[in-house]
Amino acid sequence: MAYIEIKNLKYRYPKTKDLALNGISLSIEKGSFTGIIGKNGSGKSTLASAIIGLVPQFYKGAYGGSVIVGGQDAATTPVSELSKSVGLVFQNPFNQLSGAKDRVYDEVCFGMQNFSIPPEEMRKRADSTLERLGIYEYRDRNPFDLSGGQMQRVAIASILVLQPDVLILDEPTSQLDPAGSEEVFSVVEDLRKSGITIIMIEQKIDKIASYSDSIILLDKGEVVASGTPSEVLSSTMLESHGVKAPAVTRIAKALSFRKPDSSYPVTVSEAKELMDGRLSFKEVQSTPSPKGNEVFRLENISFGYTPGHDVISDLNLSFDNRPTAIIGQNGAGKTTLAKLMKGLLKPGKGRILFKGKDTAEATVASLAFSIGYVFQNPDDQIFKPKVIDEVMFGPLNIGMNQKTAREKAMAALEMVRLGDKAERNPYDLDLHERKMVALSSVIAMAPDAIILDEPTIAQDDEGKAMIREIIGKLSEQGMLVVSILHDMDLVADSFERVIVMAGGKVLEDGNAREVFAASESLEKAGLELPHITALGKALGAESILLDENEFLESVVRV
Amino acid sequence: MNGKSIFRTKFDVASIVLIPACIGINYIGKLFASALKLPLWLDSIGTCLGACLGGPIIGGICGAANNLIYGLTTGDSITLIYALTSLFIGFFVGIMARAGFMKSFPKSIITALVAGAVAIVISTPLNIIFWGGQTGNVWGDAAFAAAQAASLPLWFSSLIDEIIVDVPDKIITLILTFIILKALPEKLTALYDASDEVERLD
Amino acid sequence: MKSISLYRDNGTWLCRVHPFTKLMYIAAAIIVPLLLGTLWAYAVAIALDIALLISGKSLKRARALIIFSFTIIATIFIIKGLFDADNLTPLFSIGSVVFYREGMMKALRTGCVIINMLLSFSILVLTTKPEDIADELERHGFSPRLSYVISSVFSIIPQMMGTMDTITDAQRSRGMETEGSLIKRMKAFIPLITPVVTSSLINTRERAIALEVRGFGGKGKRSYLKEWEKHRGDKPMTIILALIIVSAAVWRVATWLI
Repeated sequence: MAYIEIKNLKYRYPKTKDLALNGISLSIEKGSFTGIIGKNGSGKSTLASAIIGLVPQFYKGAYGGSVIVGGQDAATTPVSELSKSVGLVFQNPFNQLSGAKDRVYDEVCFGMQNFSIPPEEMRKRADSTLERLGIYEYRDRNPFDLSGGQMQRVAIASILVLQPDVLILDEPTSQLDPAGSEEVFSVVEDLRKSGITIIMIEQKIDKIASYSDSIILLDKGEVVASGTPSEVLSSTMLESHGVKAPAVTRIAKALSFRKPDSSYPVTVSEAKELMDGRLSFKEVQSTPSPKGNEVFRLENISFGYTPGHDVISDLNLSFDNRPTAIIGQNGAGKTTLAKLMKGLLKPGKGRILFKGKDTAEATVASLAFSIGYVFQNPDDQIFKPKVIDEVMFGPLNIGMNQKTAREKAMAALEMVRLGDKAERNPYDLDLHERKMVALSSVIAMAPDAIILDEPTIAQDDEGKAMIREIIGKLSEQGMLVVSILHDMDLVADSFERVIVMAGGKVLEDGNAREVFAASESLEKAGLELPHITALGKALGAESILLDENEFLESVVRV
Repeated sequence: MNGKSIFRTKFDVASIVLIPACIGINYIGKLFASALKLPLWLDSIGTCLGACLGGPIIGGICGAANNLIYGLTTGDSITLIYALTSLFIGFFVGIMARAGFMKSFPKSIITALVAGAVAIVISTPLNIIFWGGQTGNVWGDAAFAAAQAASLPLWFSSLIDEIIVDVPDKIITLILTFIILKALPEKLTALYDASDEVERLD
Repeated sequence: MKSISLYRDNGTWLCRVHPFTKLMYIAAAIIVPLLLGTLWAYAVAIALDIALLISGKSLKRARALIIFSFTIIATIFIIKGLFDADNLTPLFSIGSVVFYREGMMKALRTGCVIINMLLSFSILVLTTKPEDIADELERHGFSPRLSYVISSVFSIIPQMMGTMDTITDAQRSRGMETEGSLIKRMKAFIPLITPVVTSSLINTRERAIALEVRGFGGKGKRSYLKEWEKHRGDKPMTIILALIIVSAAVWRVATWLI
């Protein structure tokens, strides 16, 4: 019998009408790596919660079917007991810390204390696990002072020391920057090799494709496909369930490169094996997009949070109407730059001109008219009990009358496809929808320029497609869109201008093709290539290929 | 609603983590009030929220724990004495909320008056025992001095002092609690008031 | 991360004394003068408080904690000295304003109670890590839930404070004014506090899950990573302090009976 056996599992959250899980049956063998994919709201996290018994014990609600984990019934065995067999790591690194310990070492031992593990054994496990995850040097630090990637590794360590048979990773990198994600993925890679049973929920399809022994695709609480990565990701129905196949698979499909078993390759190495030497690439020329009218001009800007430590120094930059992406690692000065432009921070030196006027002479509230800023975390701004009221807050503040404000708000909500949820409580929506509420609350103010801080975090493929669309629409209306981004695929296919930052300085400034060709600067800024670009490079393309169409237009099978 | 369900309290992990969050909210309320230079403390919003979500027992614990923790660690040991006041405010707001007196704005004003009355009844004797009847607030103490000068009894002067100092604050606090409570999502409130029964689907 | 606790480990012996011993000292310092009822008992207690703080190199920081009470104590002297109902004997006068002996004595007593309380608590507050109090309570049979509540307050507040600036920025970005008339400022309170409240309450849900999956909800026995290194004076001091409290109580009862 398989280690985890799920039969006809049904579940509905309290006070909701639809089933979150609807008749799920599956089994998971010991020692396997199982990937669970599906769009936001498809039931992935609920399924994970059911395996560790949080559904139904913690969430209550309505439950049917059975989940047996290592011979224990997950519906009735207390979570504290089940957690000896199953470990769970989830998205938000902050909330996974116990919050009761001020040293990493004590944090990692918290669970072991609850299980009454003798101090000697505790130390042994803590030391070796911290060592293994590369966080031993932080053992005396306060866990809340660590970066997201480090914190997430502490969370994984806190679970691993309990030595569970199964480790569930529920989108552990979705709220981390690229460097943090890499740190966590390298840990996952190492764990996979060690043979522990892993169930991983993940939006980053390329990662899931290379790690998993088998993949389960969920939609509307049902298993719609399961099998090997090649089987599931080659399937034609994938996209209709809201999941985009890996770049490799999409290209192989378009060029009809099949593996001997007639499925398509899902990893770059598989693709190389299949396609190497059988493709010839034409050179691609970029068409430089014309500069528009100047909107922002930053003259000799310097800024530091503490005197003597400038985060940004002597920066000269100007922005015209082209949609512009700012990329770089955390700490590169991107958010500081954005806040300076918005007037939330005042430059220590230099001046910022917006449409020729010095922003130092305006208050933040008055700048709200012309410059919109969408913060990274929507929960830092949402406070109204209804979505529509939340979106009308800004427009009313800047003096629009009720009627205009409502019209503008509804139009903005339609743009992010939340028109039907206008009367709902924003906090009853999921994080990805709340991000859209925050975005629409700024769009409704109809500013001349809009600054987006990490709009794609927590978005699935459909959400990213929507953001791409919105950027296009706003640009067409003549609005300047400046976005801080970690998603290189989106940078490559949606922005006319890309600025690479590191250490408070601009390393590269040009169109996407120029920037992604500057491999030295990218490395210095700790950035990766977009998936398509990397694939093209791996298969021998000379030019920088930015998106699927470009790839297919420039390539011929030989 | 019968008496038993008014005092029903869940001591699961979800209720335990509610307590430190509420204590934190008390603190943040105070910080925002002083950042906005408001002439109020607004330092018991968390206790009132805890009472409304978790019931009178959790409310009482939030209140008492709030003063005990701050008193024992931040050096404001005067606040320790008023742990008793906070405890009873949390407790009575919890009872009022369970009895449905936080469901509409007018009803929440009644809860506010109850909270104000509780504050007066508990704090006045404490003020007399520890401070000789004063509160340390300029306006309240001015009234106290005037009442003493007019040879009114000590308890009465102290009562006036306390009413001036605490009642407006409690009323505004409960109004704010009411507004915040209205903005809380169902998926959160469900955690505290959903039935313990898991319905079977098969 | 900025802590709200005033504890600093300055390496003195006072930091290594067990929290329970300090609690016992506070109990003795407050209860004994109360039972004895004479002003000199307060003087002794206050002198002891100060001596301990000096030897623990913490007097300077303790001063910051009690200084705020001076204005209140001053007003107590004024109001009691001038208006107290028992006032009979004039003590001194400034111009035509007469201060009375009875009221001034009452004020002196109140002042002593306040100063003594603030000082004795400051010994604990300045030299003890809150998490240690929580851990020790748990180890001595209190519920782990209680110690969790205490410790987590100290991590939750800096986290919330961290979001305060971001929230203020986010709302100002949407045109909200945080300055101006009282009404304007009152109106700003809700948009500022609601996001912290809602997100921290929502976070509690995830935190509860994080605790559940690490066995916190279990009822079984627990083990502890570290043992408190006992100060050699802890046990005898606790016993002596307890004896002092008991004998003061006995004396009190005896004087009542006689």
